Amino acid sequence: MTTALATLERRLEANWPAIRAARDRTDAIVGHLSSALSDLHDANCSVVVTGSLGRAEATEGSDADWVLLVDGPSDPEHAMLAREIENRVRAIVPKEVGPTGTFGSIVASHELVHYIAGTRDSNENLTRRILLLSESRALTNPMVRERVIRNVLARYVLYDRSVRSRSGRRQVVPHFLLNDVVRYWRTMASDYASKMWERSRRGWGIRNVKLRFSRKLLFAWGLLAAFAGELFAPAELHQVENDEQFYLMLADLIRSQTDVPPLELLARVVLEAGDDDIANDIFPSYDRFLNVLADPEARARLDAVRFEDALDEPAYSELRDVSQRFRRGVTRLFFDVHPKLKMLIRDFGVF
Amino acid sequence: MKPIGFSTGALAKGDFATGLALQRDVSRIDAVELSALRDHELPGLVGAIPDLDLADFDYVSLHAPSKLQTLDEHAVFELLLGLPEAWPIIVHPELLQTPSLWRQLGRRLCLENMDDRKTMGRTISELRTLFEAFPEATFCLDLGHARQIDPTMASAMLMLREFGDRLVELHISEVGSHGEHLPLGATTRQAFARVVHLVPAQCPLIIESIISAELIERELETVSMLFDTVAQQAAIA
Repeated sequence: MTTALATLERRLEANWPAIRAARDRTDAIVGHLSSALSDLHDANCSVVVTGSLGRAEATEGSDADWVLLVDGPSDPEHAMLAREIENRVRAIVPKEVGPTGTFGSIVASHELVHYIAGTRDSNENLTRRILLLSESRALTNPMVRERVIRNVLARYVLYDRSVRSRSGRRQVVPHFLLNDVVRYWRTMASDYASKMWERSRRGWGIRNVKLRFSRKLLFAWGLLAAFAGELFAPAELHQVENDEQFYLMLADLIRSQTDVPPLELLARVVLEAGDDDIANDIFPSYDRFLNVLADPEARARLDAVRFEDALDEPAYSELRDVSQRFRRGVTRLFFDVHPKLKMLIRDFGVF
Repeated sequence: MKPIGFSTGALAKGDFATGLALQRDVSRIDAVELSALRDHELPGLVGAIPDLDLADFDYVSLHAPSKLQTLDEHAVFELLLGLPEAWPIIVHPELLQTPSLWRQLGRRLCLENMDDRKTMGRTISELRTLFEAFPEATFCLDLGHARQIDPTMASAMLMLREFGDRLVELHISEVGSHGEHLPLGATTRQAFARVVHLVPAQCPLIIESIISAELIERELETVSMLFDTVAQQAAIA
């Protein structure tokens, strides 16, 4: 199938080899991991990856952020299963997952579905929930991943509705989802500062760069998904007879975006906007970001650069400049060019 | 009021005679699905049909075997081909290994949506592919299977919208975490209530909840109330 990214690349007569290489590498690793785990099938479990593997952006230095997603009765055997999964994943992707404990463990669907906002939601739960929606891929039993996503979206869309407007117009943008997406973006940005403090700026460079590119891309995905009823709705969505059907269809439409990698979803909207300058700001920049991450030496320098030496480190300095182009493109897309997005971001983005 | 009854297999596993007998004296039952879910049951069931007393049932269907263990695909097809033409033949898509063979059944072939233990027929897109391969086939919507795949029931709603004109039968039960058919629980009833108003008025309801004989009336009441309540709400609206 032709992707929007490929269409854009062709239309602009551009070449984004790092994006293509990362996608191909992701497919290869996901294929290996899926095969390695295939005999661990369980009707109520799915091994899900997020991070670069979930976004189709794996490079040589990528880890495999996996979780054992359980949607069914709890069973002590799940712990044994998780250990076996860890061994098999590490045999293919040796790099350790991050130290926070957010990944590489059992995740019960109950918390993802029931603890949305409120006092029992945690930074970890918010992270897992939004990443499940925005950048996840099932290595085993995709039905379980999809089922949990549908239940999470039910909370956002089916069970949180505004009072109907006097005009009879239905609420097309689910505020609860949008607010959580915005909250997660701000949490990522705040956590960057928190980790600077807690880890004495260790590894700050690569986190800073990711915030400028891949984390920002996740936020863009979240906004586009929350706006899906305005951006991607089939005509029949607005022809359904009653509210229940309308919100079921809206949730289903948003669910279908969870199978689209963030960069591809962004490309679809850029393609629709028809502004080549925006495309030339966004995608070559992102390609350069992935290109640098794929270079082990440059990645190591990003990981090690001292805060005080930032602008003397070529890899960081270059990506900082490139990120400003990426930001300019995304900002113009959302605020200036796309006819629907600029209205949506004005109406829902801040106030 | 929709025709309503049980699958014989739900009331008496592997024993269609008992499954029928248990329903015959229940006044509100006027539909039945004869079950031959295990292929070794099929020859005996087909052989007994001329002598079965089905006078109490306005609607009769037959559920074909879900797996082939003692018969091959052609033998199963030949047995099913001889059934009364008015009976829908409910089939799990995995049985259909030779499509050209099964297309001969035309509208009698009734495809059921599947649970997550199967590899096809589970989602809208998988069903769409199947109906392209079997354009005349009718549709049996298993609400429990649909809810197991999508607890919000959006998929069931979309199936009813897209394949509603093919619908000839509805399967009703709760489906447990290991695919088992159970009596309807409270959350399942709430989920089903989102879509039952989309089920055509005369569509037969076949209950697949595995229950003992003394619970037949209660399960019938539960299912009837689910549809009656929604119908009343629709009438008021």
